[in-house]
Amino acid sequence: MREEKQAKQQKKEARAAKKQVPPFRFENGVAINVRDMDLFYGDFKALKKVNMTMPEKKITAMIGPSGCGKSTLLKSLNRMNDLVEGCRVEGEITIGDENIYEKATDLARLRKNVGMVFQRPNPFAMSVYDNIAYGPRTFGIKKKSALDEIVERSLKGAAMWEELKDRLGKSALGLSGGQQQRLCIARALAVEPQILLMDEPTSALDPISTGKIEELCEELKEQITIVIVTHNMQQAARISDKTAFFLLGEMIEMGDTDRVFSAPQDKRTEDYITGRFG
Amino acid sequence: MLLRKREKGQDKAAGAGAPVCREETGARRAALDGEKSARAVFFIAAAFSVVAVFAIVIYLLVASIPALSEVGFFSFLFKSKWLPKFYEDGSRPASETFGILPMILSSVVVTLGAVVVGGLLGVCTAVFLVYYCPKKCKGAYTQVINLLAGIPSVVYGFFGLVVIVPMLEGIFGVTVGKGVLAAVLVLSLMIMPTIASLTKNSLEAVPNEYYEGALALGNTKAQAIFKVCLPAAKRGILSALILGVGRAVGETMAVAMVVGNTTNNFPTGLFMPVATMTTQIVKEMGYATGLRKDALIAIGFILLLFVLVINLVLTLVKREKMGGNALRGRKLKAQQEEGAQKSKAQYAFRRGGIVQEILKYICMALAAVVIVALAAMVAFIIVKGVPNLTADFLFTAGSSTDVTMPQLLVTTLLIIFMTLIIALPLGIAAAIYLNEYAKKGSKLVKAIRLFIDTLAGIPSIVFGLFGNIFFVAICGGRYSILAGSLTMVLIVLPTIVRSTEESLREVADSMREGSLALGASKVRTIFKIVLPSALSGIVTSVILSIGRIVGESAALIYTAGAVIGMPDGYGSSGMTFAVAMYKLTQTGRAGDMEKAYAIAVVLLVIVVALNLLVAFLERRIKRKARGGTGGEKRRAAAADKAHEEAPLASPAAAQTSQREITV
Repeated sequence: MREEKQAKQQKKEARAAKKQVPPFRFENGVAINVRDMDLFYGDFKALKKVNMTMPEKKITAMIGPSGCGKSTLLKSLNRMNDLVEGCRVEGEITIGDENIYEKATDLARLRKNVGMVFQRPNPFAMSVYDNIAYGPRTFGIKKKSALDEIVERSLKGAAMWEELKDRLGKSALGLSGGQQQRLCIARALAVEPQILLMDEPTSALDPISTGKIEELCEELKEQITIVIVTHNMQQAARISDKTAFFLLGEMIEMGDTDRVFSAPQDKRTEDYITGRFG
Repeated sequence: MLLRKREKGQDKAAGAGAPVCREETGARRAALDGEKSARAVFFIAAAFSVVAVFAIVIYLLVASIPALSEVGFFSFLFKSKWLPKFYEDGSRPASETFGILPMILSSVVVTLGAVVVGGLLGVCTAVFLVYYCPKKCKGAYTQVINLLAGIPSVVYGFFGLVVIVPMLEGIFGVTVGKGVLAAVLVLSLMIMPTIASLTKNSLEAVPNEYYEGALALGNTKAQAIFKVCLPAAKRGILSALILGVGRAVGETMAVAMVVGNTTNNFPTGLFMPVATMTTQIVKEMGYATGLRKDALIAIGFILLLFVLVINLVLTLVKREKMGGNALRGRKLKAQQEEGAQKSKAQYAFRRGGIVQEILKYICMALAAVVIVALAAMVAFIIVKGVPNLTADFLFTAGSSTDVTMPQLLVTTLLIIFMTLIIALPLGIAAAIYLNEYAKKGSKLVKAIRLFIDTLAGIPSIVFGLFGNIFFVAICGGRYSILAGSLTMVLIVLPTIVRSTEESLREVADSMREGSLALGASKVRTIFKIVLPSALSGIVTSVILSIGRIVGESAALIYTAGAVIGMPDGYGSSGMTFAVAMYKLTQTGRAGDMEKAYAIAVVLLVIVVALNLLVAFLERRIKRKARGGTGGEKRRAAAADKAHEEAPLASPAAAQTSQREITV
């Protein structure tokens, strides 16, 4: 009897192991590589021949005036652009060694490993706990103890365990804007992403909440790669390791943040940074 | 392909990792197949309404071909005598004719009368409600209007029968009050709430800037309302009126109770007892056979054509700008010309707006009349009905000759259950397809929506006919509760689809994005995030459907039948509350009228209860939007408690989790 049980247990575990969603394998410290990428909305070419590399466990900031295509590029990194009708991508985006625009790409795996935080906080109409447990539950984690652990870890990861541990059962919609956004970060962390995409995560927040999220980014980069789109140049200068400047669908310049802000190579970058337009 | 090859190559190299990856792609393919089949299921559900409309039209057409070809299409429409003769050998005497011109004209006259009177009352009520009603009673008044819209038509008919008809007899000194005028009044009362609430919606949708702009030009409040706001809401009001036409032309039971039911009379006077298309069907369907039955179905088909045309017009009004702009353009041009002539003259600015002031008082008066009339109706039925709610009637099982409440309750519940169990999944799936899968604004979606709207506009007597010749046939050839339920599925389906779709639309896209960005599949996103947020809307649609089923009579009387006695399952025939009420007013037996009063009270109570439930839910939705509901608070408290215990238990918890890992 016992042997049978054990055999069953083993089979179960083996099956569970098979179902695991494998991470991407990064090589030479490169997380994302964009090569000759064009992006169209219908006939409109929103991104033109973009080439860039985003290093592993660093923060890459994308700056540029509104409508320059930086959010579009961000969204195409985990294929959230698929939701936009008429959107078409040419060229290649590789994460690790896989082209994510292959037909065979597993979107669930991609988005699990490449998380996203949106411009406006979008907590689900559930409790704080259920919000964070949603992702793990999606990937088959049902055990209460495991979920409890993940929720705690994620909230600690987002530096809000102390403020929220007594309100786990409360509706996430009752939190303040800044808390909601950090909750969304925690929610994204709960599925253990390798990369976190942030689309102007602080544009709807007050300065104090913004500061908290920036601090958080600094801590997170120990573990994961962050790509952040921001309108706020001080923010880019403060937190990012690499900065890419976009203008009218083209990537004008990319390099170490210090270098880009202190000695921009392109005239247009300089103009933008010094506030002459945008 | 490239990726997979590459992966395989790596797998060989990595060795141990190999099974993981291959299995993973397999699982992924399964997931993709799941996505595809889910999409297919939702699509089939959405296409069902299209199929249903076609099925009804074609089925009725085919079933009415014998009659139409025997009689001839034009003589059927334009001959003025309906004289069915019955010979035992089945032969057809020469004197037998089937002409429905009087019925068509009666339907048209009654409908137009009702739309004029009901429309006037409805629009005035809406104006009063939106602009003049004191804030304090606005909510209550709106609730009352919604409530009135939910009262079953048999109750209106009953009120007409026991109050309006005798009243007309008294006032005008005629011997028989039943006839055109009585039908017009009953129908007006019936369609008034619908017109009022739709008009109210479109008035409220008029941008406040219009009103303020008019006031800023020195208009009085009444001028601003009648010259700017009402014209701005013209299209909404027009569609409300057309919807009223659709309802009035298809109404059966309420009209049948008060119109006199005299075949072959032309509507030449206010008190002329006539038969409309619908009442003729309901009057003869029970015993007609052969050609006569085919001819009745043909009437149904003609009625359906009428309604389809009305629906088409309604769609056009909603979509197109119905010449409103052209009209405005012409007016403007005339004004400009006038202005050009006068341009050199000295203008005398005069205070105007007397007409509007008068209109204002007319509105207030009519709104008061409406509310008084309807309050009187409810009060009258309650006062007369409550004494008839005897214990005997309420609680004894009754027999095959004795109508009692438990029979009706059981039948109604059986129908509600079966109808919802079929219509709810179907409707929700259709709504999911329309809102989550279909391309926004694609022709397919527009077509499906059009068919769903069409289905919603088909009068219940036509559903009844269809059910009678289709569902009754497939359910074993006799009236059964199952056949009635299947017919009701078609009736409540549009309500469920529309109201679910509406609440799905209110779910913010950022929620969907949030879930997808976490790697959740589309199906999971729909079932875990979208549908739960739309739950209150779905529950509302269930309640509305229940209201519809409880109040329905014309669609059930010839599908579920009208047999007295306790039903023993879905195979047997049975009466719902509304059908029983109609039947009881027709028998003329002692005591039956009293029972009808009692049932009317029960119907009113049910309608009030359902309405309160809907109002409660709506308030809940609003509160939820602001964050935090009762339920969540309760859960929060539970979680808090769990949390207080957690630290104490944490070493143990750690141990158990460790054990789980080692085992």
